[in-house]
Amino acid sequence: MNVIPLALYSAALVAYVWHFATRHREVGRTATTLLVFGALAHTFVIGMQTMDAGHVPVTNAASAMSTFVWLLTLAYLYTEMTTDERAMGAFILPLAVGLQIIPATRPAAEARDAILQGPLFGIHVSSLLFAYASFALAGVIGLTYVLLFKEIKAKHLGFFYARLPSLQVLDAMNYRAIVIGWVFLTIGLAAGFVWAGRSPVYDPRLQAMSLQDPKIFIAVLCWAVYSFEAFAARAIGWGGRRSAYLSALGFAIVLLNFVPVSYFLTKSHDF
Amino acid sequence: MQPFLVGISHRTATVELRERVDFQTRGLASALGAISSRGLAREAVVLSTCNRSELYGVCEDPAVVRAMAAQFLSEYHGVDRHELEPHLYSLASADAARHLFRVAAGLDSLVMGEPQILGQVKDAHAAATLAQTTGPLINRLFHASFAVGKRVRTETSLGAGAVSISFAAVSLARKIFGDLKGRSVLVVGAGEMGKLTAQHMKSQGVQQVTIVSRTMANAARTAEAIGGASAAPWDDLIGQLGVADIVISATGAAAPILTRAQIEAVMRPRRNRPLFIIDIAMPRDVEAAAGEIEQVFLYNIDDLQATVQENLARRASEVHHAETIVTEEVDKFIAWLRARSAIPIVVALRQRFDHVRRAELDRLTLGLPPEMRERVDDITRLLVEKLLLTPTEQLKSIGDADVVSTYAEALTRLFNLATQAPAEPQETARTDRRVEPFIRPAKR
Repeated sequence: MNVIPLALYSAALVAYVWHFATRHREVGRTATTLLVFGALAHTFVIGMQTMDAGHVPVTNAASAMSTFVWLLTLAYLYTEMTTDERAMGAFILPLAVGLQIIPATRPAAEARDAILQGPLFGIHVSSLLFAYASFALAGVIGLTYVLLFKEIKAKHLGFFYARLPSLQVLDAMNYRAIVIGWVFLTIGLAAGFVWAGRSPVYDPRLQAMSLQDPKIFIAVLCWAVYSFEAFAARAIGWGGRRSAYLSALGFAIVLLNFVPVSYFLTKSHDF
Repeated sequence: MQPFLVGISHRTATVELRERVDFQTRGLASALGAISSRGLAREAVVLSTCNRSELYGVCEDPAVVRAMAAQFLSEYHGVDRHELEPHLYSLASADAARHLFRVAAGLDSLVMGEPQILGQVKDAHAAATLAQTTGPLINRLFHASFAVGKRVRTETSLGAGAVSISFAAVSLARKIFGDLKGRSVLVVGAGEMGKLTAQHMKSQGVQQVTIVSRTMANAARTAEAIGGASAAPWDDLIGQLGVADIVISATGAAAPILTRAQIEAVMRPRRNRPLFIIDIAMPRDVEAAAGEIEQVFLYNIDDLQATVQENLARRASEVHHAETIVTEEVDKFIAWLRARSAIPIVVALRQRFDHVRRAELDRLTLGLPPEMRERVDDITRLLVEKLLLTPTEQLKSIGDADVVSTYAEALTRLFNLATQAPAEPQETARTDRRVEPFIRPAKR
């Protein structure tokens, strides 16, 4: 089922890159149209899985990835519609397509584990996925900021200069994505903490819920990095490029936590 | 009927001569009035910019009109005809269309791809519309030229990138700060170059312009010249640096007036709010090492010149693409023009058939009740239209004007059209509304 959105996202990726290179308006419109259809198909897939399982498909790594890509696409589409800026699509779509390959090729049945129930668990997972989607956007925006910054500093006004919005706009977009992400990250972590402490069901995984578990440790590390970026960085003059680097670094950690750690390392979150 | 043009431009004449044949001073309306009162052309547009004065019209014989137009230019502007003649060019038909399309695209401009010319072409056409000197052919020609200008701007990068120093500075500022509204500019030095760049910034909506000069009186004078700017004493230079977003430095100082250490000290309390320094002084006003500070963007005159050169080179590489668009549109226009030459004969043929139809209808349906009569009228009209559909399309698709005239002659003889053949299709269309379905314009 996840193959259909993957195909549409891939087509949109080609169109976005083509648009970025040639800046033909029609190509840009085609790209957005393809992405909208991709997002609609994805919404349908997730809707079907939700009806099937009785809850949003987030209880295994592959389906959580699919939901994450869906949220990322929606967040990007929202950004594109509100800023009228398509250039970022060429950077976001490779990420969306790359990650969507996992659920498309490893379809896993939704587990209905007894402990994965309750509103707190839902808040925990959906908040975190939304936070990660925001951070993904921020990371990509940060990357484009650095590319443009380097061109202007090097006095070589070329490819990105002609295509990206201004540094100021990129910085503001980055900051907004970070703050929104931080709010959801905080809610998600708090909900997880409370839920694990209160869960009435006995499960060995609950015993592993501690800071020593890599997944939890990295999540807390992320929270520290993003807290710094959202609140302290600007106060000490870490705006602009440094902030952009922080966004990229933060998202690299998120991705690390999401893929290799989830699959191979964690004991507490191996659902 | 074909379009023609007679003109003079920066490619053929010096600015002294161009100034003397400029139409702007006396106004386009007066020139257009003079053209129509002389009967120079059936339809006319005058395009007059600082780089060109061109007269567009519609005529039968371009050679005759060229001589008349040269005479007109000489008399209207009081320039000796022998002096003017070597600098005039005249083009007709496809060449005239190609020329106008290239002009509208900015391909014939002094600065390749500059965007103002399209607006000037539109203004010229609007002035002619107001003076009622336009007609179907010239309207079609000019609307096609607007389309070319638009296509070249959206489909090529011919107009992309700044090609002057002050525009390059503004474009950079926009890439750093986004919107320039609410930004403040500090001009160091009261010279001409700084003033011009500041004026350009001001026109882009910057909120505050402050001038600092060693002589307060000079600063105040420049501030007044810019309009809405303020002057500050030299001692306050560092303080002003702290609040400015953009600094334009253009003093005549022999040694740098701003060192890296000074700027670094200013940047700390700014919390790294970006500072864009444009050093257009020669020798330079700002220590080059200041460009290494985080969030300081330092550009000197050579850097700006280099970006201008890069942009010019990029524009030059787009010329071929733009010329292709021009050729496509010229072909479309010429196809339309040729299809149009068949219209008078089509109209005459159609009128002839309709005339016969109505005469017979009146004769044969005398005793019929009105609703029957109406029905017969409908049927016969449809029949005539169907019978004429194929010949009409065949006539319109003939590309060669000579072939069209051979056909026209044959049809005129066969159907005895000579007495009715109208000279201009649109006039006929006005007198007989029923003919209209057959004079639809060729598909673009």
